[in-house]
Amino acid sequence: MIALLLGLGIMLLAIIGVPLFIIMSLAALVAFSFSGVEISSVAVEFYRISSAPTLMTIPLFTFAGYLMAESNSPKRLLRLAETGLGWMPGGVSIVALVVCAFFTAFTGASGVTIIALGGLIYPILMDEGYSEKFTLGAITASGSLGLLFPPSLPIILYGLVAKVDIDKLFKAGIVPGIVIMVILSLWSIYNGQKKKNLRKFILKDFLAALKEAYLEALLPIIILVGIYGGFLTVTEAAAITALYIFVIEVLIYKDLNLKNDVPKVIIDSMSLVGGILLILCCALGFTNFLVDEEIPMKIFALMKLYLTDKYSFLLFLNIFLLIVGCLMDIFSAIIVVVPLIIPIATDFGIDPVHLAIIFLANLEIGYLTPPVGINLFIASFRFNRPITELYKASVPFLLLLILSLVIITYVPALSLFWFK
Amino acid sequence: MKLIKKIDLLIERLSSHGLVLVVLTMLALSCLSIVLRWFNTNFTWIDPLVRHLVFISAFFGGVLATGRGTHIGIDLLGKILESRKMFKAQLFIRRLIALTSTLTLLWLIKAGIDFTRVELEYGKAVFWSIKSGYLVMIIPLGLSLIALRFFIILLLSFEEQTA
Repeated sequence: MIALLLGLGIMLLAIIGVPLFIIMSLAALVAFSFSGVEISSVAVEFYRISSAPTLMTIPLFTFAGYLMAESNSPKRLLRLAETGLGWMPGGVSIVALVVCAFFTAFTGASGVTIIALGGLIYPILMDEGYSEKFTLGAITASGSLGLLFPPSLPIILYGLVAKVDIDKLFKAGIVPGIVIMVILSLWSIYNGQKKKNLRKFILKDFLAALKEAYLEALLPIIILVGIYGGFLTVTEAAAITALYIFVIEVLIYKDLNLKNDVPKVIIDSMSLVGGILLILCCALGFTNFLVDEEIPMKIFALMKLYLTDKYSFLLFLNIFLLIVGCLMDIFSAIIVVVPLIIPIATDFGIDPVHLAIIFLANLEIGYLTPPVGINLFIASFRFNRPITELYKASVPFLLLLILSLVIITYVPALSLFWFK
Repeated sequence: MKLIKKIDLLIERLSSHGLVLVVLTMLALSCLSIVLRWFNTNFTWIDPLVRHLVFISAFFGGVLATGRGTHIGIDLLGKILESRKMFKAQLFIRRLIALTSTLTLLWLIKAGIDFTRVELEYGKAVFWSIKSGYLVMIIPLGLSLIALRFFIILLLSFEEQTA
């Protein structure tokens, strides 16, 4: 009875806004005290994170992403994509999707994409004759696109928490990520057809834009070839990316000043990373406690009464994760929910790599799901529009993303064909 | 209150400067490690040192997130109160959050100190002959900085009401 009351009390504290790392620590301290385990075990779990070999990828990739977002890189990349794809019906909108996906892969869907790129993309799409509703919806949806592409921070975090090979997860996310991009691009083309004046492809302009942005445009290729060519480990790729971006933005393009801008970028990016790592440290203690107490197994036994096969479980998982995705931010959701779901999903015969992709795709959509999807709030704040307007604008994109999710969930080969 | 604000500023500066130093060192050492690998050489201390630098950056980052109020949380009630402009209730909730966080962190610091004691007695050297007991001290020290910041937020919230 006391345990139940304490549990309810902790949940209440979470709802009023006590930081999640405090909630997790409190839950772990209470749980360990109740079960008669020394509370120093919570600190042991805390320290365990420092032995994770891929831990350093989180600050390094995030630092690189924030450096790019603060520089003129978004402008250069938009110009490149605009001159390259602007001639297509819906081309400019596709450009926006591609560039946003690129940035989100590096900044981890932390809202930076909407803040950094939203202001650039909005006037471009409006000038091209897209409706304001479409423009706002596209930008809001773009804020979490790219989560499935390497070197996305949520993929790394998932790999760390679930103990799944990050290289494999990077590979597995590529095709599902492309599926999402293609579906949204088709929608853009459909909306772009309403326009009368299509831009011409001018080779000279494209080459000029390429000359300006090729150093940044090369980055995904460097990372993918580096990792899958066997030249670099994921950790080394993170270090090389951070150094590469640092050199080009500070020393070559000189967009950022070493004395003023770089420390600011470090502080901004690390306050996010610090928040994530603290939750990671605190939550692992609590979730390990739950796993030791065989809570997932008890949930699994209960589920077995109602969910008879893999597909009904997947449907349940989709709905559950959509709710989780719009209530919790992606980092805490990974840390808290993944350790509990993995044993259950494994018992239903779901491949851990496929599970990861389903999980991340769901949470990507959760960002856009009313009433509390975080991208809706960020876009509402960024464009000074009532939240209800953002709800309406994002509905078509939400439905298309759900369609993509259904494909990704029920066609596992899209994620797993690399490994057969 | 002036003294409290000065202490808060000091913690903010310490964490900001610390973070810049830690991140740049982390970057330099990670790249050095890659270059050394090309020459089939390796310094075994780089990897554990970098991992502990990341660990330190988590606490410094946490201190800054505390000051900025950007810790990740659910905060459903806060959003509702803000939209209804219930400022007094918001202030009360902020105090409750700061108080709960400070107390929980104190409990966690106790856990960290207990762990440090054990590691000082039984721990082994991790790198540069530094025993794990000294490295584990990062936990209570880092948590103390965050706890102090939450406590300062709690104290300053009373000034907010009188102002």
